[in-house]
Amino acid sequence: MTSALEKISLYNYDCILLDVGLPDGDGLKLLEKIKALGKEEGVIIISARNSLDDKVAGLNYGADDYLVKPFHLAELKARVAAVYRRKAFKGNNLLQYEDISINLQSMDVKINQNNLSLTKKEYDMLLYFIANKGKVIAKNAIAEHLWKDEIDLADNYDFIYTHIKNLRKKLADLTGKDFIKSIYGIGYKFS
Amino acid sequence: MKLAQQYTRASIIITFSILFFAGIIYYVAISYISNNQLDRDLTEEIDEVTYYVNRYHKLPTPVDFDEDQATFMPIGQRTIQRRFVNIPFVEPNSKKTESGRAVIDMIRLNGINYQVTIAESKEGTEYLAQIIGVITITLTAIMLAALFFTNRYILNGLWQPFYKLLGGLKSFSVANNMEYHYAEYPVKADEFRELREAIDTMATKARGDYQTLKNFTENASHEMMTPLAVIASKLDTLIQDEDLNAAHYEQLYNISLSINKLSRLNQSLLLLVKIDNKQIKDSALINLKELIDEKVNQFQEMIRNKEITITCELANKNIYASQYLVDILLNNLLSNAVRHNIKDGRINIRLDAAQLVIENTSPQSSLDETKIFERFEKGKTSEGMGLGLTIARNICNNYAFDLSYSFAEPFHSFTVRF
Repeated sequence: MTSALEKISLYNYDCILLDVGLPDGDGLKLLEKIKALGKEEGVIIISARNSLDDKVAGLNYGADDYLVKPFHLAELKARVAAVYRRKAFKGNNLLQYEDISINLQSMDVKINQNNLSLTKKEYDMLLYFIANKGKVIAKNAIAEHLWKDEIDLADNYDFIYTHIKNLRKKLADLTGKDFIKSIYGIGYKFS
Repeated sequence: MKLAQQYTRASIIITFSILFFAGIIYYVAISYISNNQLDRDLTEEIDEVTYYVNRYHKLPTPVDFDEDQATFMPIGQRTIQRRFVNIPFVEPNSKKTESGRAVIDMIRLNGINYQVTIAESKEGTEYLAQIIGVITITLTAIMLAALFFTNRYILNGLWQPFYKLLGGLKSFSVANNMEYHYAEYPVKADEFRELREAIDTMATKARGDYQTLKNFTENASHEMMTPLAVIASKLDTLIQDEDLNAAHYEQLYNISLSINKLSRLNQSLLLLVKIDNKQIKDSALINLKELIDEKVNQFQEMIRNKEITITCELANKNIYASQYLVDILLNNLLSNAVRHNIKDGRINIRLDAAQLVIENTSPQSSLDETKIFERFEKGKTSEGMGLGLTIARNICNNYAFDLSYSFAEPFHSFTVRF
């Protein structure tokens, strides 16, 4: 906790990952200090406690997001990317990936000036893929990202295949490229 | 029945029966004694009559017996033994019939046997018995009234500290942070003071134990989640390896699913503990209709994936509960309805002011209602943990809703009665 405080006051970071269960103190106290220093960094709390009270407390202290252990690295990346975008561009920005440009505020997706109309799930999935570009993402990680808590009902995550298929087709129709590569046995890779 | 009431009833019954039997015994004893007295008087009269007859050799006239009535009846050569009987006695002045006592005997005069009957009024002793009866009844009534009022006002007062302690115990909750000071209850009786001290000790200990347990659960969960998080992130790094083949991926994917399951299990158990301890208190007014619509929408993909037809008949209904818990309740019930459904199956959701019914078709036949809500009780084909319905039921109990299961071909239905 002491070394964290030292580093925070010395350097400016884009995003801080804060584990509330630090060995030498309550992570929320650290968050209080970060805010007291007037720091602008985005803070994502990582906690083993999945309780509403803790979440509310964390967000009230000024955290930007709250992630419960255990999580997928892909999920963390997506959250960090979102927090970073919000902080760095004040939420008003265009996200560009190859030919795909996304207006994060109006949620418009354009490919070479052509409008691409996506459903909410497809849009979320596209952002998630871009945040994890070039990485293999397990099916369950995607499903958990898109459906959050109620997903435990799914005995198999095959139904996300429909959404993948639609997104892949829509992207391919406008670019002629297949961005989403199936990795047999585990999931997908966006590149 | 209340203790004071039971006590009053018992004491009234006992007092009443004792006084009742005492009255009877009095009456019998007095009758016996007075009869004896009368019989002695009558014997004297007979002796006098015998003396008179032996002396004057004639029967006495009735005038010789002032109060008593004597009759003589010739009976020839028959003999009779002296005996005493109860007979009606006609008062000579007022012609009133009263109860009387008589002696029947035999006198021999001039070779003829006479039956002599001398009767005497019992009025005097009857009157005594009546007075005693009235006194007994009055005493009984006074005793009963006294007992009733003592029990009602004094006993109730005596038990008051007990009821207060009981009320305190009923509202006792280990999760309640508000300290409840039993020691402040005013108590005079030693027994209740001991009880109060015992409750106080117990409450303090229970709270302490609970606090320890809560800390333990939280710490255990925390400690378990951290290594799980490490495994999960290492796994995510591992799958980036280009050299892995499909078989490797499949195994890694299974590990990943198991991690999911383990963390869900952990969270579900923690949630159960929290619900049991009523630790979730963010209650607010919730429009159930809107929430169900939203949930059905969230479940669209899974419903469409199984080609299930879903019909909703929803009336407006507000409940006062925690949004977080109601969310979990609906998630669990709906996910069961989808998960245990058949292809081209059906789900019906009905909501009105009194109840919420979720029905679904299923490949399974009727389930055992006594078992399905138990922890870790699950169908043979279920991939779940067997905690979903337990959590649902506990959430319902928390708000005094009633969750029940019924089966009517082809629908399994779960009903929440508000």
